Amino acid sequence: MSKFLDWLDNRSGIRGLVKEALYEKVPGGARWRYVWGSCLTFAFFTQVVTGTLLWMSYSPSAQTAWESVYFIQYEIWGGWFLRGVHHYMAQAMIVLLVLHLMQVMIDGAYRAPRELNFWFGIALMGVTLALSLTGYLLPWDQKGFWATAVATNLIAEVPLIGPMLQKIVVGGVEYGHQTITRFFALHAGILPAALIGLVVGHIYLFRKHGIHVKEPRPKKDSYFWPDQILKDGVACLAVLLAVVILTLYFKGAPLGPPADPSNEFPARPEWYFLFLFQLLKYVPAFWGAVIIPIALGLLIFIQPFIGSSRKGHQFNIGFWWCLLAGSAGLTFLAFSEDRENLNHGAAVREAEWQAERVVEIAQEDGIPPTGAVTLLRQDRENRGRRIFAAQCSSCHRYNGHDGRGYLVEDDQSAPELAGFASVDWTTKLLNYDHYISPEYFGGTAFKEGTMAKKVLKKFDAEETKLLPQVALLLSDLAKLPYQEPLSEEKRERLMDVFYDDLACIDCHDIDSEGEGSAPDLTGYGTRKWMIDFINNPEHERFYGKKNDRMPAYGRDKKLSTEEIEIVVDWIRSTPADL
Amino acid sequence: MSDPKAKKSLSDDSCCQDGKSRRLVIASTIGVSAACALFPFAAGLTSILDPVVRNSGSTAKVPWTRVTSVINLPDDGKPAKFEIILAEVKDAWTTYKNVPVGAVYISRKGDEVIAFNLKCPHLGCAVDYRSKTNDYFCPCHNSTFGLDGSVTDANSPSPRGLDTMHTKIEDKFVWIRFQQYRPNIAEKIPLS
Repeated sequence: MSKFLDWLDNRSGIRGLVKEALYEKVPGGARWRYVWGSCLTFAFFTQVVTGTLLWMSYSPSAQTAWESVYFIQYEIWGGWFLRGVHHYMAQAMIVLLVLHLMQVMIDGAYRAPRELNFWFGIALMGVTLALSLTGYLLPWDQKGFWATAVATNLIAEVPLIGPMLQKIVVGGVEYGHQTITRFFALHAGILPAALIGLVVGHIYLFRKHGIHVKEPRPKKDSYFWPDQILKDGVACLAVLLAVVILTLYFKGAPLGPPADPSNEFPARPEWYFLFLFQLLKYVPAFWGAVIIPIALGLLIFIQPFIGSSRKGHQFNIGFWWCLLAGSAGLTFLAFSEDRENLNHGAAVREAEWQAERVVEIAQEDGIPPTGAVTLLRQDRENRGRRIFAAQCSSCHRYNGHDGRGYLVEDDQSAPELAGFASVDWTTKLLNYDHYISPEYFGGTAFKEGTMAKKVLKKFDAEETKLLPQVALLLSDLAKLPYQEPLSEEKRERLMDVFYDDLACIDCHDIDSEGEGSAPDLTGYGTRKWMIDFINNPEHERFYGKKNDRMPAYGRDKKLSTEEIEIVVDWIRSTPADL
Repeated sequence: MSDPKAKKSLSDDSCCQDGKSRRLVIASTIGVSAACALFPFAAGLTSILDPVVRNSGSTAKVPWTRVTSVINLPDDGKPAKFEIILAEVKDAWTTYKNVPVGAVYISRKGDEVIAFNLKCPHLGCAVDYRSKTNDYFCPCHNSTFGLDGSVTDANSPSPRGLDTMHTKIEDKFVWIRFQQYRPNIAEKIPLS
């Protein structure tokens, strides 16, 4: 063995190299505060390895990016873990960067003769942030798509060449294939290469000047190997553990619904860019994206010179604490504003619903060559929610919201439709107090109509007791997919109540010739009944001339037959949440 | 280099006897090396810049798109949101047919129809219509716009009002020329 090593050393000089690498003197002894640089190197190493492994399954194009990430996340054995480690290590890197930077600042290790290395470090920070920014887009989900739209619009703020630069980065005017290929080339090629080059320079300069130690030295001098390396290793292990715990806890990195320019989503960047996002609410984008960063950059650039005096050094440390505190404050504001904003919460939940739904369909039916975005666009359940939100929700509600979870600002002026025609729903319908409440007809002319004033209100206690039975009958007519049908016997008995005991038949027909003055209840709540009703509530079978503002969606071509069917199927598909 | 003999042997070379020709050799060496080093970058330069020269369109080329029947628009000026579906969209090597590319808010008062691109002119988030306050609101950086599209709140970061689209009514349908504009400048310059 030693013969072989001798030979190798003779040909390569490896012993000298190893010796130089490991026996770096650590003045004042190994310390925990020196571990951050090694942790960052370890984190970057993890990113290169996991990133390359992800690359083996990733396909950068508008039709395949989300799809291949879906494959990694849900199909590849352990793919979710690999992606989770890459995702959370990226976040850990940001935290480590701040720790490393603050340690260097506080110890004064940025001052002469280490100015150049300080600038290398700042450049490394910029490249790392650029890696995060470009990586955010690659899954091509709603979050990445809309956030990147904002980020690339900021590029246009650069004076003179901004708009041109934006086109070069985006790969044109619209976001598409070329945006992903370009971002991917940046993320997996140009930026890592730059980072490696800068790290080599950073470590070379660090070795050239050695560890900066405050006098008097806390302990006896020691060597990098093994004292400091042990500490570094333990710290790296802690980082690794934290990342693994985050990955397991959150079951990997999130994957939103596929990017869709016609499906709006409130853009939010990754948490460590939230301060910039929040800043843009207060200052013009030109200030936020150009002036302030340049001014701060210049100040940071000259910090090694400012720090040459004691006061200057204190100023520098104060500056970084203020910058951190300011960023933390803005980040907190951004989070708390979003938490208070009910519609933002609804938008996030809606995106989560879409993400779950598209995965469900993809797992069931597979993804067509046109991409996963068409799965959602064609999905009847998704379309049902969207049609309801767009067409019905300004008057009706679904579980109190617009069908997708957004609160509606207009007052409710027509019945709640979640669980329409279910036993619960019809039972409440036939209760006077509910009938005249805004949840049913309180916002309509029917509040003062015959059914309310002359029927439900006038029934005596005995008759009122029978109403739930009629409700049961009506609900049974609807043949809802989630309700068991009644037995023939029971239905007969309830029909007797409808015909004789309460004489509903005087106004409402069921399976009889259309004589009644009130809506025909034959096949009430069935798919066909609902389609006919939405098609034209002014038909004499339904409200006739008494119709109060309900549009004739089919007759007036406000909705196509297919759209009416979709919204009806959607309403009938699930019971109300309660 | 520190070896004086080596230095001498270099200057003894027949090509470099006077300082002038030596400078020429150095300049040529730097030139040739630089050309070799820069060549791969130069080879890719046009490809990288391709998006800048491509797609030079104008408003006249933007097609009219049928969006909705007039009957779907309430007469009271309350806006409704509609998807814009273009018959054909090219994205690099893919041509999509009938694909949604964005959305607009359309409102109507009598025969007058006004349509806004959903995208906030600040940085491109999608604005929401708020019926309580009867205005448009951007959920990203809090810009607010009136029903006529103008910026209503002095604190709004948007430098201009919502972008109006060219509209016309034909055969009882609303037609729109869907266009994107350069974000975050006071002027309305079409993106192309």
